[in-house]
Amino acid sequence: MRLASGPVLRELLAREWRERYQGSVLGVAWLGLLPLAQLAVLAFVFGTLLPARASSGALPYPMFLALGLFPWLLFANAVNRGVTAYLDNAGLIARVPLPPSLYVHARVLGSVIVDGAGLVLVLGVLVAFGLRFDAVGALAALCGVAVLAVAALALARIAALLQVFVRDLAALVGQLTGLGFFLAPVLYERSQLPAATAEALGWNPLVAPLEAIRHGLSGDGVLPWAALGMSALVAVVLLGLSLGVQRRAGRHIEDFL
Amino acid sequence: MSAAASTPPVTREAPLVRAEGLSKRYPVVGASGDRLSALGRLLLGRAPLREVEVLSGIDLSIHRGESLGIVGENGAGKSTLLKLITGTLTPSTGRVVSEARIGALLELGAGFHPEYSGRDNVRMAAAIHGLAGEALAAKLPEIEAFAEIGRYFDEPVKHYSSGMVVRLGFAVIAATRPDLLITDEVLAVGDERFQKKCIRWIDQYLAEGGTLLLVSHSTYHVQKLCRHAIWLKDGRIEAQGDAFDVTQRYQAWLEQREAGEREAGAAARGDYRVDAMDVAAEGLESPAGGTIRIALRASSRSGDRPHLLVGLSRIDGTAIFGTGTEIDGVPAWPMGDDGSYGAHLVLEDVRLQPGEYRLRAHAMDPEALRLFDTVEHTFRVGGASREFGLLRLPHRWEAP
Repeated sequence: MRLASGPVLRELLAREWRERYQGSVLGVAWLGLLPLAQLAVLAFVFGTLLPARASSGALPYPMFLALGLFPWLLFANAVNRGVTAYLDNAGLIARVPLPPSLYVHARVLGSVIVDGAGLVLVLGVLVAFGLRFDAVGALAALCGVAVLAVAALALARIAALLQVFVRDLAALVGQLTGLGFFLAPVLYERSQLPAATAEALGWNPLVAPLEAIRHGLSGDGVLPWAALGMSALVAVVLLGLSLGVQRRAGRHIEDFL
Repeated sequence: MSAAASTPPVTREAPLVRAEGLSKRYPVVGASGDRLSALGRLLLGRAPLREVEVLSGIDLSIHRGESLGIVGENGAGKSTLLKLITGTLTPSTGRVVSEARIGALLELGAGFHPEYSGRDNVRMAAAIHGLAGEALAAKLPEIEAFAEIGRYFDEPVKHYSSGMVVRLGFAVIAATRPDLLITDEVLAVGDERFQKKCIRWIDQYLAEGGTLLLVSHSTYHVQKLCRHAIWLKDGRIEAQGDAFDVTQRYQAWLEQREAGEREAGAAARGDYRVDAMDVAAEGLESPAGGTIRIALRASSRSGDRPHLLVGLSRIDGTAIFGTGTEIDGVPAWPMGDDGSYGAHLVLEDVRLQPGEYRLRAHAMDPEALRLFDTVEHTFRVGGASREFGLLRLPHRWEAP
């Protein structure tokens, strides 16, 4: 059957959008309010209440943290929202002839768009408070975000499919992203760690994109182009793996929903 | 005139939809570990260990302009077949080849999200059919008008009655006008006026060259809307061909099964027996009526003259006519010196509707009080008719 995937994806995205804000008093204003509120909390807690002693180079710690936290949230939220996409849409999958992966794509894309917009807004505020970056740094940050988004899509595709068969997986993914938060240089600069630990963490493919974003936008530190390239390769391999898993186990997904 | 009769001739171009060697097996995932085991096997390219087969060896083609009905009991695999053709299920073996834009009304509320309004759901359903943007905006008033659900169009679908859900679903189908319309019993839901509106729309759709795949328990709907039919039984095609022939065979099978095993009982093979019943029928398919000749031979252990009773019924046991030698005041005639008796009953001007029938002959005692033996003979009246009831009564229409 011929299928117009483009308009359907747009409608699914619109639903994602409505699901987030429907019924709330402030509605779509949360798109901007939430990241700004988070930024304000970070500034207050780590700037005033508990002045951070961690090394953050030339950057104030709240600014340092924001440049790691918001990209991380973009990745983690996309994975966590995507993992239940099949189960949440089980009724539609059984009745509407759409490629099921569209539901995951809409979830991940919707999440990345919202968190990406939040990241841009936060950057605007940080620039107003003195953050400066050049074109190369911006390009590195953009590449870092792209790698995080592709990795999130690949992991969400795999996790969502496995979740259909192993219903415990969503909770496990939540815990794993929580662990990943501490294993990635979000709260700290990797150079602060013992050399062996820092090197070991370098194998985490999420480290390079996060450092590319932070170093690129702060002008502080070396841009990890080679590591970023490797992370991009890992993300693409994961995406290929997700396609393979989909081809094998996803062919009869409706039978297990 | 029905759409089935007025539909343009089916063209012999490449089929709109072609199913080849289609089968479907559902995994059994009741026990803990079944899902994990199935995942492992699927990743290795193997089928799950425990499966149940619901459809097997289905080959069919649907050409543009054709109208095909599918009949069968619950659990025969009808809905599974429709889902395979629609693409919401993946076949276990075989394939469905289709380039058609399919519009499906498969289940009540199919594809509608209960939390979203009718308008939002219409947007999604239309998008699936490739209708979006300005084209959809232009069609929305038409869809809203066809559905006739008033202010509910902007209410969440969870507040709808089942009839309103069907109205909304059919309104989308009517607006998007698919190459192939697939529908099941959903049209049985809702008020009669809207049902008629849908039937009229389908009639018009078929007359203009649309293609229909209809699942229904109503042989009336299948005969009215479809040229051809398939009878699915236990996941396989039991019969396919002309809609009238297939639905009549299916109906006859149903009626026969529902009638069940008739009790031969203690009456069977007693003191009085029916030794033979020969039936000869002619002209039963003629509108002018035909004749049934029933030659009976009976005997008694004592040599007493039995009374004979004959009954004509539908295969499901619905009585049509019955009479006997005692009722008509005639004796059974002696057939020789061996204590056997005989009689011929001639039923004239018999105008039975197409279907399956049963003749029963009974041997009774000389007082016609007790029934001792029963023999049966079934026969089929062929032909095509959409009239109701058991008999074709001579009739005419006159101007008031």
